[in-house]
Amino acid sequence: MTDITPGILMIIAAVFVPYLPHHLRQIFMLGAIALSAFSLSAGAGIHWSVSVLGQELILHHADNLTLPFGIIFHIAAGLNVIYGWHEKKSMEHTAGLAYAGAAIAAVHAGDLITLFIWWETTAITSVFLILASGTERANKAAMRYLLVQVASGVMLLAGASLYWREVGTLAFGAMELGSLGTWLIFLAFGIKAAFPLLNGWLQDAYPEATILGTVILSAFTTKLAIYAFARGFAGTEYLIWIGAAMTAFPVFFAVIENDLRRVLAYSLNNQLGFMIVAIGIGTELAINGAVAHAFAHIIYKALLFMSIGSVMYRVGTAKATELGGLYKSMPLTMIFCIIGAMSISAFPLFSGFTAKAVIMKAVGYEGLVFVYLVLLAASAGVLHHSGIKIPYFTFFGHDSGLRPKEAPFNMLAAMAIASVLCIAIGVMPTQFYQILPYSLYYQPYDASHIIGQFQLVIFAMLAFTFLMRFGFYPPEIVSTVLNSDWLYRRLIPRIGSPVLAAANKLSIMGNNIIVSSAKKIMSGTLYVYKHPITGPVAPGPAAIALLALLMSVLLLVNLLS
Amino acid sequence: MSNLNPNLKKMGNFASIALVIIGTTLAIAELFVHRHGEIALEDLPLFPAIYGFAASVFIVVVGIGLRHFLMRREDYYD
Repeated sequence: MTDITPGILMIIAAVFVPYLPHHLRQIFMLGAIALSAFSLSAGAGIHWSVSVLGQELILHHADNLTLPFGIIFHIAAGLNVIYGWHEKKSMEHTAGLAYAGAAIAAVHAGDLITLFIWWETTAITSVFLILASGTERANKAAMRYLLVQVASGVMLLAGASLYWREVGTLAFGAMELGSLGTWLIFLAFGIKAAFPLLNGWLQDAYPEATILGTVILSAFTTKLAIYAFARGFAGTEYLIWIGAAMTAFPVFFAVIENDLRRVLAYSLNNQLGFMIVAIGIGTELAINGAVAHAFAHIIYKALLFMSIGSVMYRVGTAKATELGGLYKSMPLTMIFCIIGAMSISAFPLFSGFTAKAVIMKAVGYEGLVFVYLVLLAASAGVLHHSGIKIPYFTFFGHDSGLRPKEAPFNMLAAMAIASVLCIAIGVMPTQFYQILPYSLYYQPYDASHIIGQFQLVIFAMLAFTFLMRFGFYPPEIVSTVLNSDWLYRRLIPRIGSPVLAAANKLSIMGNNIIVSSAKKIMSGTLYVYKHPITGPVAPGPAAIALLALLMSVLLLVNLLS
Repeated sequence: MSNLNPNLKKMGNFASIALVIIGTTLAIAELFVHRHGEIALEDLPLFPAIYGFAASVFIVVVGIGLRHFLMRREDYYD
């Protein structure tokens, strides 16, 4: 029973979801997730493989690296079911369950072809979470999202086949960058991990999904890419620099963005940067850090998206310009939001602290001073846009005059569970570190570290207060902030459309020439057909001259050869 | 800041004062606890405090600057 790949049961269960009545359906989904999680107990090793066309496809491979991702993906899937309990329509539930299942199955893929299959399945299932919004805007974003995701899959497949020809194996293990094949795989992962300039789809699509959809999306796709990097490219130095850039750039965008779900999408991107840096370092300590951070991050990021989603559910918007002063109307949501905010900001006693500390230690240990300083500044930035901006502009700030009801019970319950997990990871680091791939004896709680971290966050908060009081803080403005999706939404069409128009004109011209010559040949043939040559015809002088010419050419050729 | 309601304003003031007090306490705490970081630079007195404050101001200033280049009307893509 445990041989079945975790996640596959969830995909099968998703097929039945639309046919079940509302509450039963939610219970059924929780059951499917629990049953799927049971397979995690299989232990390390290869548990299921099939032979297809002479290739061994490893459908269920488990080790110390798959386990933490398997656990957290199941937890996230369970939280999503609770958070979306109120939703009567089945589209998001079906898509969400299958999507989570595909991501879990992908983590347990032992070869690149199996990985590719689940990689694409996550793309195809998750797009329905965006489509479920039902607006024109969301439909367009969904199609852009799908194109990018499928492109990533195609690159993975192309890279895998090249890699197979080169190395002779499809097994998914540590790879060395160098050949075209490995670069294609690297880029395919990089798209899903939202590398700088490849990140446009993330901030474009996630905030257009439904309230539940965004929460579900936040957990899986990008962390699947993090897992893939940790398995395939640990210790690849490029990743250190790419990751450092990822932690820094989104911060600036998040400060000026008005849509709070988009702010969270930027901060998600920034958090991925920390993990990518750690994977680039690739030591046991660093990989532990990346996995710990991914684990903690999935929970607090979901919690933040949930709290903003609850506000959106009640008031219909997530724009900072339209929110504010909700602390009295939605006090529990506010508390959960602040717990998420403190976790992502790495306050001591919250999950971000115990997770990020491992990465910072690994970076410091390698003596990467510049990268360390970038990450430290980015940490202050996280505090700024996720730690302060999100709760401040929603629950405090200027009074929007909105007085909605508190969030529904199921949403509060999901947020409460996520909050408990955030704090549990924060206060029990030793237990938390036990699920990491390598053994880790590290105590983040010493007086020196606590005071240093508190100084960082408190003085960053003081900077916010100072800027706010003296009117330097940029006011929220209803606007669109350009991001790298601009490249394919504006630049390429702008350059591409004249080129396409010219090519189109050329092809029309060519077409006309072909059509007109074909017409002439046709009419000539018809003419000859209609006027057949009948009876003996005496050759004219021209025919005799042509014959003479042909004969002389033949003679000449004969003579010369 | 004009449409702050009095309660929010009071809470804001309270939070600001609390932050200043906590900040001062943390700065003083350095005198009693030997604080050391992962890199040598971090061992300088009050380094996290100063760096956290400066980084935050820097991020906001750059963010404001970015608005000139990257901000468009809301229906830009529509």
